[in-house]
Amino acid sequence: MATISINQLHKDDLPWIIEYDETKCIQCGKCSASCSFNAIQPVVEKRRKPSQGLQKPTFEKILVIKQNVSFEHHCVGCGMCSRVCPNGAIKAVRNPNDRYSVRYRAAKADSLKKGGRSNLNTEGRTLDKIKIGRISQMTDPSLDAARHQFELRTAFGRILSADKLSLVNNNGRMETSIQLPPNRWIYPIIMGDMSIGAISWRMWEAMAIATAYLNEVMGIPVRMCTGEGGIPSRLLKSKYVKYMILQIASGHFGWNRIIQAMPDMIEDPAGILIKIGQGAKPGDGGLLMASKVAKYVQEIRGVPKADLLSPPTHQGLYSIEESVQKMFLSMNAAFNFKVPVAIKVAASVTSVSVYNNLLRDPYNIVGGFFIDGLAAGTGAAHEISLNHTGHPITSKLRDCYLAAVHQGRQGEIPLFAGGGLGQTGSFAADAFKLICLGANGVFTGRLLLEIAGCIGNDTGKCNACNTGLCPAGLATQDTCLTKRLDIDVAAQNIVNYFLATDMELKKLMGPVGNSTLPIGRSDALITVDKHVANRLDIQYVC
Amino acid sequence: MQKEEINIKTLENNKRMSTQELLQLITSKINEGYTNFRIEGCGQHNIGGSSWAKDRNEELTFKITNPGQRAGAMALAGTNIYIEGSAPADVGWLNSGAKIVVNGDCGDTAGHCAAGGKIYISGRVGTRSGALMKHDPKFEIPELWVLKNTGSFGFEFMGGGIAVICGYDCDDINSVLGHRSCVGMVGGTIYVRGKIQDIADCVDVQILNDDDINFLNNGIKIFLNEINKNELYNSLTIWSEWKKIVPLPKDKKDKNISVKEFRQTKWVEGGIFGDFIQDDYKVYNLAATDEGRLRIPKWNSDNCVDCKICFNNCPQNAIETENKLYSSNNTKCIGCGICEAVCPNHCWNMNSTRKEIS
Repeated sequence: MATISINQLHKDDLPWIIEYDETKCIQCGKCSASCSFNAIQPVVEKRRKPSQGLQKPTFEKILVIKQNVSFEHHCVGCGMCSRVCPNGAIKAVRNPNDRYSVRYRAAKADSLKKGGRSNLNTEGRTLDKIKIGRISQMTDPSLDAARHQFELRTAFGRILSADKLSLVNNNGRMETSIQLPPNRWIYPIIMGDMSIGAISWRMWEAMAIATAYLNEVMGIPVRMCTGEGGIPSRLLKSKYVKYMILQIASGHFGWNRIIQAMPDMIEDPAGILIKIGQGAKPGDGGLLMASKVAKYVQEIRGVPKADLLSPPTHQGLYSIEESVQKMFLSMNAAFNFKVPVAIKVAASVTSVSVYNNLLRDPYNIVGGFFIDGLAAGTGAAHEISLNHTGHPITSKLRDCYLAAVHQGRQGEIPLFAGGGLGQTGSFAADAFKLICLGANGVFTGRLLLEIAGCIGNDTGKCNACNTGLCPAGLATQDTCLTKRLDIDVAAQNIVNYFLATDMELKKLMGPVGNSTLPIGRSDALITVDKHVANRLDIQYVC
Repeated sequence: MQKEEINIKTLENNKRMSTQELLQLITSKINEGYTNFRIEGCGQHNIGGSSWAKDRNEELTFKITNPGQRAGAMALAGTNIYIEGSAPADVGWLNSGAKIVVNGDCGDTAGHCAAGGKIYISGRVGTRSGALMKHDPKFEIPELWVLKNTGSFGFEFMGGGIAVICGYDCDDINSVLGHRSCVGMVGGTIYVRGKIQDIADCVDVQILNDDDINFLNNGIKIFLNEINKNELYNSLTIWSEWKKIVPLPKDKKDKNISVKEFRQTKWVEGGIFGDFIQDDYKVYNLAATDEGRLRIPKWNSDNCVDCKICFNNCPQNAIETENKLYSSNNTKCIGCGICEAVCPNHCWNMNSTRKEIS
């Protein structure tokens, strides 16, 4: 037997330890068969039977399940083994003595990569400290959430102030004498923003189907952002593209096929989102590990099988003004100025400067400002970025809104907020509070994966999206794993979650007495945290 | 012995009797044995409500002009209320058995929460009329009869009872139930004659059956007699002009197709990735056989001594050993790796299916 040295990786260094009870195990092999990380395997172990008198001790061999100890194949705590075990003989337990991140860096001279979301959770959640405390009672009647008609749609696209509409009297009819910028009235929750490649084709298609279903069957005008990993031509050429917000990020992946499809498109897309940065890893570019660059991903993106890194910035854009002039103009021109174009940045101390600059927008081509907070999810990131860069969404959204209010220009460039919404269970509450703080709408990605079956959480369970070994078939391109995902169940779950959220948004709109979205109605919010009250300019209560 | 009709004028010498004064006066007169009242009102609330004759076998009758809101509110069986001319809001609020006849129009929320008695209105009624009507099975079914039409949001949350909206003199009106009526309606029946629009989706609009026609035919005669408009009988009894509104049973409310059906019938044929991937949309188990395996065992004959340890330990009975050539049956093997683990001579190797794909 090999000698064991202290520098050898040991299971006590790993984040998760397999607890296995050989007395319950029937050796059915299902646990090892189901483990996509190859973190456990059956082995034959020797057991010594002590001497019972004159004869020598004897040994017997038994078959057991053993944890693999390596950087490549270690348990991430996904728990598939305990799901398949008929006897509850095996489970992964969190190792309080975990030294994995130290050992990895020391062994590999490389930065640690992760998927999912930050597991550091040092900030706490501001949104959970806020309650809806202004209830309409005898001052003005509450609305009945279940039965009244609510108008939940929000504007996506540039809104001109009344004085810029150049209104003229045309035979008694008031008309505008200029071409108005494109605008869409959409549901205030935009889903997706996850690329083909980062997530499996089944998950991506499930989101697209759910979006189409919500629109066509339920009449809820939800839009989906495609993320930047290309878009299947079949979708581009279908009528359903009108529900899609196409994304262009610094990698410009997949745009060749989008451009090629333009002459055959029967509908305009819902919009275009220029992605400058994302909340989970601000200031860093996209990252798709080679293990997820499957053949179709290579085709659709026009790249070979390799780690795909997007640059942290759009090359060719050197200032906010240039971004407006070049990027917004090009993307507006792409669909002949008929499709709203918005921009997404990671929340940052500098977000207000950017927003203020965009508000000048002399060409009326800036159709929305998306701010992504640090609790957002990602398919893959350096842990250092995930855990240590970024800015919470709540105060930054508020800052931007108040900056617009200060100029009397709120609503002219709609604000959308995202990043970790629904983290503590209720997406509708988070959305509602951000809308009261000034958001015209919100966006969500990671939550959709959780709705579809992701078993990861904020305290270190799984979060292995970067490995391409997603045991739920969501963040993988492996056929065996992708086919674990039931596309119909995933899509139905998303639809159901939206219907529940729709109901819950109304359950919050009713009590505050708004039948339309309460954008900027911060008077409806209260907090028992004085700092939060001061920073967000909402009422402190105790 | 029945006493004579008592006449109460509530406005004399420009001095108006308050609601409290009027209602307390009525109560004291009832306690003296009076049962017939003629009241010249001046907007006092709740006239005729929550009263009963001293002798419980007798009936109370109120003939009212110019009432205030909530005429006949909380009125009991044995009370007859006749209102000459129109009445403001809440006529028959929480009616619990009275007959209330209004010879004119009513304001909003007529018959609101009525759970008994009959209300006959010879004109129009305002918004939210008939809302929250109920039927307690120990008592008679409440009825609300309206000759013309209702305002919007009528019959919200209706839980029982019968409303009849006759749609007379409504030719210029798009909807004799206004807009968005019947929201949250869970019980009861509304009969309506004429055009309706924009009705809540929790109800079903049906044609009349014989029982409905029978009920309406008898009821209309009584109604027209009460409001002195017998001459309208023929014009209101063309049954093809009538409809019946009832709440939808819970199981019929969800009429939407499933997402799966949507994918199969409406979505892009063959899936949006059909150009790249032939996906049969089959779902693999976590420990799947065949192409669902994450790892596949490969046998190497060099060291094999035909000991059959793998054969005996395979939990899926997937190993075949014909002519000393070992193989694993793909339809049984889940790729657990037990063959590799137990073989003393390292004849089995688990190969990742992933490597082969990528």
